[in-house]
Amino acid sequence: MQTNKGKGERKMQEKKYSIKTDFSMLAILIIPISVAVNFVGGQLASILKLPMYLDTIGTIFAGMLCGPWVGAVAGGLTNVVTGIANPVNFAFIPVNILAGLVTGFLARKKMFNVWWKWIISMILMAVVAVVSSAPIVVLVYGGVTGSGTSLITAAAMAAGANIWAAFFGTEGIFQLLDRVISFIICRLVIQVIPPRTLVKFGCGMNYIKEKDKK
Amino acid sequence: MAVVIECKDVTYYYPLTEKPAVEDLNLKIESGKFYGVVGENGAGKTTFCALLRGFAPGFYKGELKGEVLVEGKKTIEYGGELSAKIGYVFQNPFTQISGVKDTVFEEVAYGLENFGVPVEEIERRVIEVMKMTDIEALAEKNPFDLSGGQMQRVALASVIVLEPDILIIDEPTSQLDPEGTESVFRIIKALKDRKKTIILVEHKIDLIAEYADEVLVFEKGHLIKSGDKEKILSDISLLDRGVSLPQVAILGAKLKEKGFPLRKIPVTEDQAVRMIRESLKEGKQDA
Amino acid sequence: MENYIEKIQIRKSNKLAGLYPSTKALIVLMYAVCTFIVNTIEVTDIGLPLFLIPQFLVILILCKASGVLGRCIKALNTVAVVALIILLVQTFLVPGGDLIWRFGILRIYERGLRTAVSLSFLIMNIAGIFVWLFQTTENKEISRALEDSGMNYKAAYVFTSTLQMIEILGRNSKTIMNAQKARGVETEGNLIVRAKAFFPSLVPLILGAVISSEERVLTLEARGFTMQGPKTHLFELKKSGWEGKAAAASVLITVLLLAGRIMLWLL
Repeated sequence: MQTNKGKGERKMQEKKYSIKTDFSMLAILIIPISVAVNFVGGQLASILKLPMYLDTIGTIFAGMLCGPWVGAVAGGLTNVVTGIANPVNFAFIPVNILAGLVTGFLARKKMFNVWWKWIISMILMAVVAVVSSAPIVVLVYGGVTGSGTSLITAAAMAAGANIWAAFFGTEGIFQLLDRVISFIICRLVIQVIPPRTLVKFGCGMNYIKEKDKK
Repeated sequence: MAVVIECKDVTYYYPLTEKPAVEDLNLKIESGKFYGVVGENGAGKTTFCALLRGFAPGFYKGELKGEVLVEGKKTIEYGGELSAKIGYVFQNPFTQISGVKDTVFEEVAYGLENFGVPVEEIERRVIEVMKMTDIEALAEKNPFDLSGGQMQRVALASVIVLEPDILIIDEPTSQLDPEGTESVFRIIKALKDRKKTIILVEHKIDLIAEYADEVLVFEKGHLIKSGDKEKILSDISLLDRGVSLPQVAILGAKLKEKGFPLRKIPVTEDQAVRMIRESLKEGKQDA
Repeated sequence: MENYIEKIQIRKSNKLAGLYPSTKALIVLMYAVCTFIVNTIEVTDIGLPLFLIPQFLVILILCKASGVLGRCIKALNTVAVVALIILLVQTFLVPGGDLIWRFGILRIYERGLRTAVSLSFLIMNIAGIFVWLFQTTENKEISRALEDSGMNYKAAYVFTSTLQMIEILGRNSKTIMNAQKARGVETEGNLIVRAKAFFPSLVPLILGAVISSEERVLTLEARGFTMQGPKTHLFELKKSGWEGKAAAASVLITVLLLAGRIMLWLL
């Protein structure tokens, strides 16, 4: 169902967006920044001992500003680079690609403009994150990856819960919180980028109109 | 002299703006001359530079009326090859780094790699330019570990090494200390000696007075005055329009006002010393 | 005159570590295939793919022969932690099949043990061969190899720039964080306080990077980034001379292993 929707969207938007113009020089430079922000966000979250990863802020930022394809590249590249140090991360490349794609399509649909759309978008993003990582965590890693939340998953499994149920339950809440914080950060940054700069980004226009309205 | 850049009835709007950043600009830039660009902040100097290089509207988007021609061809019709003709250096030294090189040597060589210059020639040219810009001692340092002044010299070197005939330099010293400023101006002087066409935006008016051949004065998006530097910089009426003038020009004007017999208003220190000495001598002879 | 170009080059005396990146990639691929083949060879009464365990020795030998054993073990430690957790969780928590062993509340079932051994050592082996690849290959070589293999120069730029940007933003974030602490932003205390500290540290960092990327576009344009035509490279990838042998050996071993596996099925 979701893929059908995606195709429909693309067809509708074909006149306005193309992959080639999506990857403008500016977008190309945003990709390294996004990956680095993913890194820094994750580091900062662990320094501040926050119970979330917060390591997809850059991917979400790239998707919100430059659209789905740039977001997807930023997401995928993040796990390629972390995989160099710890190859276990390679398995999660599709999860991050999907995070960038979904955010980008939501941005094109102007789903980040009004507060009630924010809520829908964040829930959708969290659902996609959990649903896309579930098969990888369960099938490749048998439910646990050694991270903080996976210990809770393990505990739930020990208490007799089904492996899938254990995963969805613990991961869902944390992912939603994660997306909420990530989104707020990105929105704050976009809020202060001057409109003159904003227009140069693929989806930048979507945030300017709202500013002018205010 | 040959015209290398020409602006014909140029008016330019940034995106989302209703007031033009530059309006009704007509100008010919001649080969081998040094142009000093002055005016208040927001007068359109940086936009002017971006227009000459085609960054406006190429990168900044927005709306361009009229034509900007580089060697007879419109800037909007050029692709990447304009980088071989026009070198571009701007204010912030910290953003003028390729972001992919580990050493200053490689950083300076980066443009030549993009141009497809053979490796042996790259090495020769980079070493030569590093000597000229006094950065050879930094050759093996990481570009991100440099001070502002050092970085600005690396930025200049990275552009000079491409041997463009025209250089646009937009406030290269505004974020540098006096020492850094001096080192940058030594390089600019060397470029002038090599007969490059130079367009320099600079707030330090004494430096313009010393090096420029012609001065362009911008105010609120308009080119209000242009011409020989001695004529422009000795025009005391510009002070009222927010343009700063050399201290010696103001001194000269004041002296003249008080009846001191100066032949004309000086714009550089050397000139002032010479003229005042001459006048004093003449005065003695008269007496 | 200083020989700057020579200093940029990467010279490796070790013939294995110095293999051309694409040859290394082939070895990684072949090793992964071998690992999956070995995973299908089940021994003991309950069908454990035990050969995966000695197979891991190949990684250690390869790292040792390439002269990077110390660095590889460091990197393998993080992988080993993940593998160990998986091994324990799967062994003790997954029910199914016969009960093999029990002690107090701890129980091991047949199915749990099988997935535990298979998963954890698959991960060790596959992650291990990647660790070897990345510990013997420098980032500069990877991006150069990507460009050589026909990847767009812009993509190669993104890869290299990403590695630099991670370092720079990491540095900047520390500066900003210290500045925020000096301004009185609390970084310790309860969860809400700590979560609040997250924003003033990150927002200026991202904003600064985005704004400066505008000027970086102009910088790259001024350096001929979008210039048409072939580019030259100061850094040259070197072959160590063992490429042919190494590629042949890895393919041969894989084919033999596959043949052996098929024979076992047929018998």
